Amino acid sequence: MDSRTIAFIIRRVIYAIFTLLILIVFIFTLIHIIAPNPLALARLYAGNPHASQSELIGIEKKYGLNLPIYDQVINYIKDVFTGNLGYDYLHDQPVLKLISEYLPITLEFVLTGIVLSVIIGLFTGAYAAARRRKPADYTIKGIYLATWSMPTFLLAAVLQLYIAYDLKLLPATGMVDPTLKPPPNVLAFPLLNAIYAHDWIYASSVIHHMILPTLSVALLSFGVITRLTRSTMLDIMDMDYFRLTIMKGIPRRHAVYHVALRNAAIPLVTYIVLAFAYAMGGAVVIEDIFSYHGMGYYIVQAVYNLDYPGILGTTIIIAVAVIVANLVADILYGILDPRVRLE
Amino acid sequence: MTEGNVTASITERKPKRQSRVLSYLKIMVKDPSAALGLVIVVAFLGWSVIQGILEFLFGTSGPAIALLPHNPFQYNLVVGLHPPDSTYLLGTNANGEDILSRMLYAMPRDAYISIIVVLSGVLLGGLFGIIAGYRGGYIDEVIMRITDAFLSLPALILVIALSVLFHETLGGVILALVIVWWPIYARFFRAQTLRIKNLDFVQAAKLSNVSFLKLFFSYLFINSIDPVVAYAALDFGNVILTYSTLAFLGIGLEPPIPELGSMASNGVGTLPTGWWYAVFPGLAILIIVIGFVLVGDRMQDIVSNRINY
Repeated sequence: MDSRTIAFIIRRVIYAIFTLLILIVFIFTLIHIIAPNPLALARLYAGNPHASQSELIGIEKKYGLNLPIYDQVINYIKDVFTGNLGYDYLHDQPVLKLISEYLPITLEFVLTGIVLSVIIGLFTGAYAAARRRKPADYTIKGIYLATWSMPTFLLAAVLQLYIAYDLKLLPATGMVDPTLKPPPNVLAFPLLNAIYAHDWIYASSVIHHMILPTLSVALLSFGVITRLTRSTMLDIMDMDYFRLTIMKGIPRRHAVYHVALRNAAIPLVTYIVLAFAYAMGGAVVIEDIFSYHGMGYYIVQAVYNLDYPGILGTTIIIAVAVIVANLVADILYGILDPRVRLE
Repeated sequence: MTEGNVTASITERKPKRQSRVLSYLKIMVKDPSAALGLVIVVAFLGWSVIQGILEFLFGTSGPAIALLPHNPFQYNLVVGLHPPDSTYLLGTNANGEDILSRMLYAMPRDAYISIIVVLSGVLLGGLFGIIAGYRGGYIDEVIMRITDAFLSLPALILVIALSVLFHETLGGVILALVIVWWPIYARFFRAQTLRIKNLDFVQAAKLSNVSFLKLFFSYLFINSIDPVVAYAALDFGNVILTYSTLAFLGIGLEPPIPELGSMASNGVGTLPTGWWYAVFPGLAILIIVIGFVLVGDRMQDIVSNRINY
């Protein structure tokens, strides 16, 4: 790696940390506007409207809520960066511990869904570009316009209704057959745990329950990829090197799906992150419908119970996940496409 | 756009405005899908204005429900989860309330919320974006980093967190949406301001000592608005999608007022036996959002001059 690449990476890392800092300071300011005095703040942190006076004073001491405001900002930032996201009094556990249980479950189906959506998006996009202004092009456009105008809950509910309730192909709700004994939790992700323990019955049950949520994620987010692939492909197919490929006598099918598609895939890197961020939002609804117990479940619980530590903790962790994904995408893009580094 | 063009459009702006809107409409209806979108949007907004005024004046009874096929608040357990037929066009829910009536009653609220959020987004985004682009320097840097931070996060998650902080009231939800919605418009306005701030007519205005407010609104804001309008048309749909998702999660509801998202949420509970309760409110949102997307798509083509007319 040359020094320019390293400088580029360092710049991106600083940007990412800065983004996170802005978010934390923003949330901090907001909390202090809503709860202007230490006691009100303590009530916010307690996540329980019926907390007693002595409990509140305990919380006030524990979090240093009566300190000067700049000390509190520094403490808050320090806490977030050291992974102390507060204590969830509702579940009687530290927020970070709860999230470390729930996050892998969500990531498992969201990431699988994103991979699937990239595959669908690449091929539908390339196909639409190859058949520009023909019925197939318009059909693909119609389908992705419909899927991204669709409320997440409609898509998930229709999938559940049709595939699970009507055709009875897959289970409608839950993460795994509850009668099965779970394998030891070594790798945090249920599916990987099962594979690690060679428990194939459990693994197949997890996969069966995962298909519908994964499919929902994929269908919701493939449109972004399709649209970008199509427009990049059209640009590439106008370029001289592509014409040369055709003129050399290479079959058009090969030229489109191997030469052009490979080059069109590079700018996708940033859009995959976009799709990922969108899917993390959609996961809340998807998990609610399929009774999946991941981050979405935790968020919904926190919403119902006005559990502030829980909701702030999940927001920050999802933000970190998206920021890290963004960072990786930026760096990857910079390495794949040298022009980006120069900007 | 050349400088001469801009100056011309400034001086001729007032007398030409009427015909410009009309000519845009003409271009729009030439495309069948955009025409379909326009029909959906006009029907939705028209209904929302009429029904919205009635709801505002009369609340939940009398004339407010006179236009609806049934009383949306009438329990009738005898026809609980009645499938769609000629009496109940879209069926009934578990309480025997007519789903079509409840959907029609709920729609104005989506329209007003999306209008409030998009307009506030445009105004706030215009304020910050124009200041960033016009002043430049560290103000620009700070504002742009803040918009970056907002835009890189999942909007839905942020809106949920903010509305919980605002105690999950309807006002809180709207405030949360506005807070999350302005950054994209700030980006648009900044880019446009950078493009026009060094053009002659802005320089001339500065030299002739035009007040800052006038410079801001009649010079920078108005001349940046074209791409913003095209995006905003599409964005109404995004707001409705996000708001209905919040309603689905039970945030910002004001019972007994029905809400499309929360109807779908209740419907999911009765999915195997009464599919219509979850599906129809969701479909209504889908159709409305598609309407806005089609109109916005076409408007983007018009604004970016991709159409020969």
